[in-house]
Amino acid sequence: MTSIIKLHVFSGALDESPPCYLLQVDEFRFLLDCGWSENFDMTMIKELKRYVNQIDAVLLSYPDNIHLGALPYLIGKCGLTCPIYATIPVYKMGQMFMYDLYQSQHNTSDFDLFTLDDVDLAFDKITQLKYSQTVTLKGKGHGLQITPLPAGHMIGGTIWKIVKDGEEEIVYAVDYNHKKERHLNGCSLEMFNRPSLMITDTYNASYTQSRRRLRDEQLMTTILQTMRNDGNVLVAMDTAGRMLELAQLLDQMWRSTESGLSTYSLALLNNVSFNVIEFAKSQVEWMSDKIMRAFEDNRNNPYQFKHLKLCHNLAELSRIPEPKVVLASTPDLQSGYSRDLFIAWCGNSKNSIVLTTRTSPGTLARELIDNPQLRCITIDVQRRVKLEGAELEEYQRKKQDKGSNDSRSKIQQMTIEDESSDESEAEMDVDGLYHLKGKHDLMMKSEGKARTGFFKQAKKAYPMFHFHEEKIRWDEYGEIIKPEDYTIAEIVQPEEEVKKPEKGPEDEKMQEVTDLPTKCVSSTVTLDVNARIQYIDFEGRSDGESMRKILERVKPRQLVLVRGTPAATETLAEFCTSSSLIQGKIFQPKVGDSIDATTESRIFQAKLRDHLVTSLNFSTARDVELAWIDAQLNYIENDEPVDSNTLLEERNKKEKDSEIIPTLDCLPLNKVPTHTSVFINEPKLSDFKLVLLQEKIPCVFVAGVLICDNKVAVRRNKAGKIQLEGTLCNEYYRVRELLYQQYAIV
Amino acid sequence: MAEEVRTENVVIPAEEGEQLIIQPLGAGQEVGRSCIMLSFKGKKIMLDCGIHPGMNGYASLPFLDSVDVEEIDLLLVSHFHLDHCGALPFFLEKTKFKGRCFMTHASKAIYRWLLSDYVKVSNISTDDMLYSEADLVNSMDKIETVNFHQETEINGVKFWCYTAGHVLGAAMFMIEIAGVKILYTGDYSRQEDRHLMAAELPNVRPDVVIIESTYGVHIHEKREDREGRFTGLVHDIVNRGGRCLIPVFALGRAQELLLILDEYWSNHPELHDIPIYYASSLAKKCMSVYQTYINAMNDKIKKQITMSNPFVFKHIINLKSMEQFEDIGPSVVLASPGMMQSGLSRELFEAWCTDKRNGCIIAGYCVEGTLAKHILSEPEEIVTMTGQKLQMKCSVDYISFSAHADYQQTSEFLRELKPPHVVLVHGEANEMSRLKAALVREYEDNEEYKMDVHNPRNTVGVELHFRGEKMAKVVGSLAAQKPKDGQQISGILVKRNFNYHVMAPEDLPNYTDLAMSTVTQRLSIAYTGTIPLLQFYLTQLAGDMEHIKVKEKPALRVFKSVTIIFDSTRMVVVEWTSNPVTDMYADAVVTVILRAERDPMPQKAVPRAIRVDKHHFQECMLDMIQEMFGPDATSKLIRGDKMTVTVDDNTAIVDLDTLEVTSASESLQSIVHTAVNRLHQAVTPLKS
Repeated sequence: MTSIIKLHVFSGALDESPPCYLLQVDEFRFLLDCGWSENFDMTMIKELKRYVNQIDAVLLSYPDNIHLGALPYLIGKCGLTCPIYATIPVYKMGQMFMYDLYQSQHNTSDFDLFTLDDVDLAFDKITQLKYSQTVTLKGKGHGLQITPLPAGHMIGGTIWKIVKDGEEEIVYAVDYNHKKERHLNGCSLEMFNRPSLMITDTYNASYTQSRRRLRDEQLMTTILQTMRNDGNVLVAMDTAGRMLELAQLLDQMWRSTESGLSTYSLALLNNVSFNVIEFAKSQVEWMSDKIMRAFEDNRNNPYQFKHLKLCHNLAELSRIPEPKVVLASTPDLQSGYSRDLFIAWCGNSKNSIVLTTRTSPGTLARELIDNPQLRCITIDVQRRVKLEGAELEEYQRKKQDKGSNDSRSKIQQMTIEDESSDESEAEMDVDGLYHLKGKHDLMMKSEGKARTGFFKQAKKAYPMFHFHEEKIRWDEYGEIIKPEDYTIAEIVQPEEEVKKPEKGPEDEKMQEVTDLPTKCVSSTVTLDVNARIQYIDFEGRSDGESMRKILERVKPRQLVLVRGTPAATETLAEFCTSSSLIQGKIFQPKVGDSIDATTESRIFQAKLRDHLVTSLNFSTARDVELAWIDAQLNYIENDEPVDSNTLLEERNKKEKDSEIIPTLDCLPLNKVPTHTSVFINEPKLSDFKLVLLQEKIPCVFVAGVLICDNKVAVRRNKAGKIQLEGTLCNEYYRVRELLYQQYAIV
Repeated sequence: MAEEVRTENVVIPAEEGEQLIIQPLGAGQEVGRSCIMLSFKGKKIMLDCGIHPGMNGYASLPFLDSVDVEEIDLLLVSHFHLDHCGALPFFLEKTKFKGRCFMTHASKAIYRWLLSDYVKVSNISTDDMLYSEADLVNSMDKIETVNFHQETEINGVKFWCYTAGHVLGAAMFMIEIAGVKILYTGDYSRQEDRHLMAAELPNVRPDVVIIESTYGVHIHEKREDREGRFTGLVHDIVNRGGRCLIPVFALGRAQELLLILDEYWSNHPELHDIPIYYASSLAKKCMSVYQTYINAMNDKIKKQITMSNPFVFKHIINLKSMEQFEDIGPSVVLASPGMMQSGLSRELFEAWCTDKRNGCIIAGYCVEGTLAKHILSEPEEIVTMTGQKLQMKCSVDYISFSAHADYQQTSEFLRELKPPHVVLVHGEANEMSRLKAALVREYEDNEEYKMDVHNPRNTVGVELHFRGEKMAKVVGSLAAQKPKDGQQISGILVKRNFNYHVMAPEDLPNYTDLAMSTVTQRLSIAYTGTIPLLQFYLTQLAGDMEHIKVKEKPALRVFKSVTIIFDSTRMVVVEWTSNPVTDMYADAVVTVILRAERDPMPQKAVPRAIRVDKHHFQECMLDMIQEMFGPDATSKLIRGDKMTVTVDDNTAIVDLDTLEVTSASESLQSIVHTAVNRLHQAVTPLKS
């Protein structure tokens, strides 16, 4: 009868860390999002690791690293194996986000938290869904249904609805945006009515936005001014989420002839820009109605850019004439091209730097937003540099050593049959890179036909990569096996091979970089910030005011508030308490907390006998029909004569073999108890006035009291109930009759 | 027990709308103008709204007159072919249809251009135009889009769609009304091809399947063989220095052929100097749709898109007009229309058919009476558009690429779904009856599973009966305890669409957006009499009366629900909370007040209220019994609380305290019981 609902918070509660929660519904455990902060915080992962075996499914809501960043690590390094659910765009764009993140990190540092293979592995596990596609879980999750619903914010953004037994409704809605945007529709939260539990963030609870138009204009003027002064504009954007909105906005600006921008350059710079735009082009059905209509009517694909140039590295960018506006990832300026450009451009007062998102505290972008007066900053600059001179020699010598070591160990293996070949295994790790390379090489060949354009130089440089085919060695028991071939990570590799085409660009990139011996150097520099730095909100989240309105509409029975500063969470909680919106509890867990939102779900199913239903008098109220029912529960199966067409019934019978569903049957007439009539669906006095006027009864409002024909008064008494008052006259009874008609009386 | 027996025997009248009626308005024993009506439980749904390609103007419409268009709630369109959506602008713009219309994204995008092309063509050929370009543009606003698998609910009708194969965006609709599921396949193909997925197998079992029967009992050639034969033929023709003409319908299968040819050319560099032309402006327009809705295609294409868009062809040249076309040496030309009725494909055929090196490959379904069908019989001569006779020397081959299910696919599909009812549509009468016979034969000997196959003609409805069970969910405090056998449940039944919930009135706001409410009434009546006078009259009406004070004013409370406040010497206020019973009490009280007002008695003359006690009642009863059954029926003596009534030889004993009557004779018992109760109600004042 009771379904257990618990929520454990790994991250993202009473602070601004990325969301990651474990929701338990009865025996089934959902991981709701698994974000990773910009600086790859390990404490949360450590905690999460302990629960990895318990997770039965992962639900992802947005494609950015704040919402799914830890996924590759969890799959690749922690052995998470459960199914993952996400919408198609979250799947596609999420992959782009992860590739870009990896590449951005890899370009400047020795990044080893996850590899591109982990990303592929993780995304292979994703079940791709459409909006409003209900998935009925099986096995342990029997009776649970999950449905993704549009959330706005980013393409494919999802509000998750989890329904238990068709009654208990849990809504997980974070970072939603109710407003229509250029490329996205608003969220569809208003379709919820009284869910039993709602989990929502308070990120923007005490935040007010200026109007969209103002923000657009602000961006426009910044760009125009900087361009006219011969400066460059850096817009720090994410890889494939909010970027789509801004890219479209800017391309539109460039197209309009009055803007006078068309002489300047506009570029999109991230490691996967070509693919992101290609994917965006094929996801028109996930975008706003306006875009869909434009496409249907005129076949205008909004991501068929006229002015926006796609760049994949700084060299490509440098070919674009200045002055230019560059949309570069990442938004936090912690890594990626946006950081490189920031370092390059921040010293020149002609340049402008536009920040579009309030990233986590501690990131460079956030620091700049919070301290707009900052004129001088000290940051670490990491770079990957080619090895030169002595180092290069050292590297080559080591490589040779390794080679000889390798062959030596092979010989050892052949002679000494020792299964614990630790040495060679350790070398495998180092050598693993080449191992993989060999496989990629095969794909490159078929790729040759594809005109992906921008990889050409890479291809020319390395049309083929040497591939060591290892000789198969035999002993008297057969082929010598390598245990590492049978570890979990390796098992999935065949699948990966199939997937390879998708990650073509990155592989080559990686190759290009890793192929030459490089090392990462880091230095601390102090930079003068002379460029104009501006924060213009393009986050695409609902603001505090709207959040409150939406909550008023949704009226969840219980509420869990997560992710937001303590102050913001407090504001929203207070609002909910004071307006008595929520009947049940309002939870404000903090990181590491577990809350128990178990409610007694009182529900059972019963069949309705047909003659019981036909005997009822239904009255309508809004979209429902209501009737008073007096019935008796019967557990006995009475088989009615089944005519040939009632196979449906037969099937139902088969289905419920496991449990007998009681029947609700008519009570014998003499046993029917009396009941007091219930008046349902109170009308508004103003609506009632219209009804009266329609019946040609003159009526006016006097101090909140509806006076009809100067004889009858309809008012709300102190308890808020309607009171009818008047002298004994015909009008009194007429008004009363009309009033009764407004109710459903059962 | 008597009641229970009675209810068992009652013949339950078939509730209105338990009949599911499936009525083809088009595509019933024919191919073309698909339009099928479903009606169940008062919901009316139309599936597809096409035109007959072989007819013109109003004659080509489905039989829309036989239904009330205004009542239709929902129109679902399976794909963009003319015989499935051709009448849509007419239906949406020129009829009284008020419902909603849905199709998939890709279908809608192509619909716009395909019909626009059709409007242009039909403008030339017929005068009675069904709709104009403007109607088409307006109709776009009324069409809503759905994604595959996305569940939508409109007024209790739930539907979602599955991939159907056939063409880009083609959908099979699953419609659920009150638990009964109906699957409409539209045109479907269970074979995966170059760019499309095979039709999905729904994971829920439908109760009725409405299925196409275009190919009847035919079995298709295997895809590899077919493609091999096709590319081989094309290669042969160009190798012998000939020109290869492939007449195609602009959209749908043409894209598949282009993909095959493009790949074949890529793999055969020796062919690179032979051009492939594709001459269709419509196809060019819709290419961007194909380039965009990649997600509706198969995995192979989805993978490929990450490298390069497969619909950006490398070896195919788009011909804008014939002027561009230089007819020098061997070439491959795909041209519309597919059946060479007129237009470019006809022109090219007439120009090329006299050279035996040339070849023509017919790749789709052709209708009787078209040139394409004619040349398949390999005639010596053909007649040109201008009436000339030409010798036909070129080779003609037929390879069917049309993506309709064959018998094997249909049979397997139905075997998996095991629907109790199958309705065949979209097939020539003969093919359809052969398919029906074959399906029936297949399950002839099956004891466990029976399949009813129907093949209705146009406008003839198939009536199926579903006594779908009504399941109610008992929620809230009513379900606080585990349900027991025989437990009584009283509460409010809430019916929304086809879902039933039973709950206590107090739980209403928890589970619905409705709330329980009350209405209080205050009625002022002029009354100048005294309190005792009114009290006197009221005692005659009501048994229990209390004296209370309301706001320092004397008041009487009767029936425990109606309060009479003596507001002033001239006025009383009657106050109560509405509900049918209290309203009645209040009305009675009001009558009494009016009576007291009209019939004033001096205060002193107010008689003492008649005390209605047991003694008085007994007297009355004796009188009544004697009047009813004669003076001898009962003794005048009453022993204890019992009274004996003897009629003929039957005796009944009346318990005066409880008013229970016991007798050996049932009829006497009921007569006496009724009489005693009525008397009691009449004599004693009411108690609430």
